[in-house]
Amino acid sequence: MMNDAINLIRELEDMGRNPKISILKTMKETGKKAVGCFPIYTPEELVYAAGMLPVGMWGGQTSGTLSDRYLQGFCCSIMKANTEQALLGQYDFLSAVIVTAYCDTLKCVIENWKIASPQLNVVPIVYPQNRKTPSGKMYMKDEFLRIKKELERIAGNVIAEQDLLESVDLYDEYRCIMQEFTDTVQDYPDLLKAKTRHLIIKAAYFMDKKIYNEKVSKLILELRKLPPENSRKRKRIILSGFISEPDGLLDIMTDNDMYVVADDLAHESRQFRTIAAKTGSPLDRMIERIALQDGCAFLFDEKKSRGRMLTAMKEKYRADGIIFCQLKFCDPEEFDYPIIKKDLEAAGVASLYIEIEQQMDSLEQLRTRIQSFGEVLA
Amino acid sequence: MITGAKEKGLYLGVDIGSSSSKAVVINQSGIICGEGIVNLGTGSKGPQISVEKALEQAGIKRADIKKCVVTGYGRLLYEGADKQITEISCHAKGVKFLWPTASTIIDIGGQDAKVIRVSPNGIVENFVMNEKCAAGTGRFLEVMARVLDCKIGALSGLAARGTPGVVISNTCTVFAESEVISQLASGKSLEDVALGAHKSIAQRIAGLCNRIGIADSVVMTGGVALNLNVVTAIETEIRHPIIRLADPQAMGALGAAIYAKEMDEENNTNR
Repeated sequence: MMNDAINLIRELEDMGRNPKISILKTMKETGKKAVGCFPIYTPEELVYAAGMLPVGMWGGQTSGTLSDRYLQGFCCSIMKANTEQALLGQYDFLSAVIVTAYCDTLKCVIENWKIASPQLNVVPIVYPQNRKTPSGKMYMKDEFLRIKKELERIAGNVIAEQDLLESVDLYDEYRCIMQEFTDTVQDYPDLLKAKTRHLIIKAAYFMDKKIYNEKVSKLILELRKLPPENSRKRKRIILSGFISEPDGLLDIMTDNDMYVVADDLAHESRQFRTIAAKTGSPLDRMIERIALQDGCAFLFDEKKSRGRMLTAMKEKYRADGIIFCQLKFCDPEEFDYPIIKKDLEAAGVASLYIEIEQQMDSLEQLRTRIQSFGEVLA
Repeated sequence: MITGAKEKGLYLGVDIGSSSSKAVVINQSGIICGEGIVNLGTGSKGPQISVEKALEQAGIKRADIKKCVVTGYGRLLYEGADKQITEISCHAKGVKFLWPTASTIIDIGGQDAKVIRVSPNGIVENFVMNEKCAAGTGRFLEVMARVLDCKIGALSGLAARGTPGVVISNTCTVFAESEVISQLASGKSLEDVALGAHKSIAQRIAGLCNRIGIADSVVMTGGVALNLNVVTAIETEIRHPIIRLADPQAMGALGAAIYAKEMDEENNTNR
């Protein structure tokens, strides 16, 4: 039993740890073309329905100077890494790249990518500012239909309604499984340390969702056969922010007896915490999911609910504290933080703000902050 | 401080910073028996020398130490400690020991600046640190001293003779260095520029204080607290008096030594 769980964990960790190798492996196994999907939300269901493989493009450990031609020093490290890799030809195996326009950097980078890497078939998508209103939803539908047409051209086949329905169902299943997985993690702080949890969630970006769902479902089953691990001396942490990389910071949390019981990361739970009801057409369900998604810096929230959402999460998961992983130069997250901080302070929730860059290699200052936070929580 | 302690059961705290190493020996009553401060930080022989100095001053050998706690930037590399604790907790512990009513601690070391909020019972409630940039830290002062062609210890006196009005960037040490050169080239005096540089640090620290909020009493620790003019500049910026303890550099090591003593007492209780 234990060995089955460990083998699955190692397999998924490897997939999450080596993006390009994992994508090429999946492409070979499935015979599918791959389409790159920029953060934060892209209509992956359309890509899957077109018979292609949606793959996540969330930066990487690449740093260089080619991207300086298009991006200023104050652009985030994720966008720099993506652009650097594109200019190095590292994405040339992709049949297309869907680029969103959630922040100022993304808005400007779309045209640059079209010129700099025409071979990548850049497909821009703009989500409505008011995603909950009827006119906003109508606009979103038009955008999805435009993307659908583009993908049909790239795939060389028409997306049938039944294929789209199956794809939307598959993604709903993925979201259900992941909610179950992240809840299960709480009982296994040794087996599913912070980095392991992160890599397993990350693996979803580089695998066929059907295969991934099967693996994670099996992992949950195997885990449930094991008795819960003792977690009494450990601090229960919730992560918020864009991404928890470099993943060395997660090792620092483990070193300091912390484990992640839940997250509000754009790279992780925001991808699967919301599921729309199974009513209406597949496109309507996709639209509804985005409309229902709240507590995200990249989606307009007039109620500014994220701080209250995090406070409720703290109660639900009996967390000791929240670590806010601020990606340097990520404006939308930075705009949210003062409001969140005020709400958390008012609710008496212990929190730590750390500023990260995806490629930072010196983590000692972060170690002091995280260790100190652990000492504060002790 | 008592020296030449003959008693057994002493505790050692070592604080290994980026530019200096500090060691403090205390006895079972918490009285400081020995202290060593060396201007060599992590990766050097500084930690070893500071410990030797503290032991020598206490008149004891390493074997007389019952427990040792290490803190500071180089804490993870130090061998021979029973535990490592962050400098944030150790500064709070040391300051509260000497100044029980302290609620806010401003600690400016070689490459870090921190503001720490402490509860009445000595628990660290919250803290903020500077980001990676060296602005607002001891390193900034070192750069300024070099450009102004004076020793770091002479900066305070130099700035005290200055007239306010020179503005130096508070966001980047590298920019600040070129700004200082420009100010000197435009005919500004060394004294005025030194004062401007101190104000720049003070503004940076005031920003950290604003993020966390300050409460009475405010105590300043770390090597930069030795520069009286910087302390005064910070007082002006935060509009609050600052208590400067006699030995601000040693607070982290003192706190570490107190942690070592508490650890030993806890072990004895659990036996």
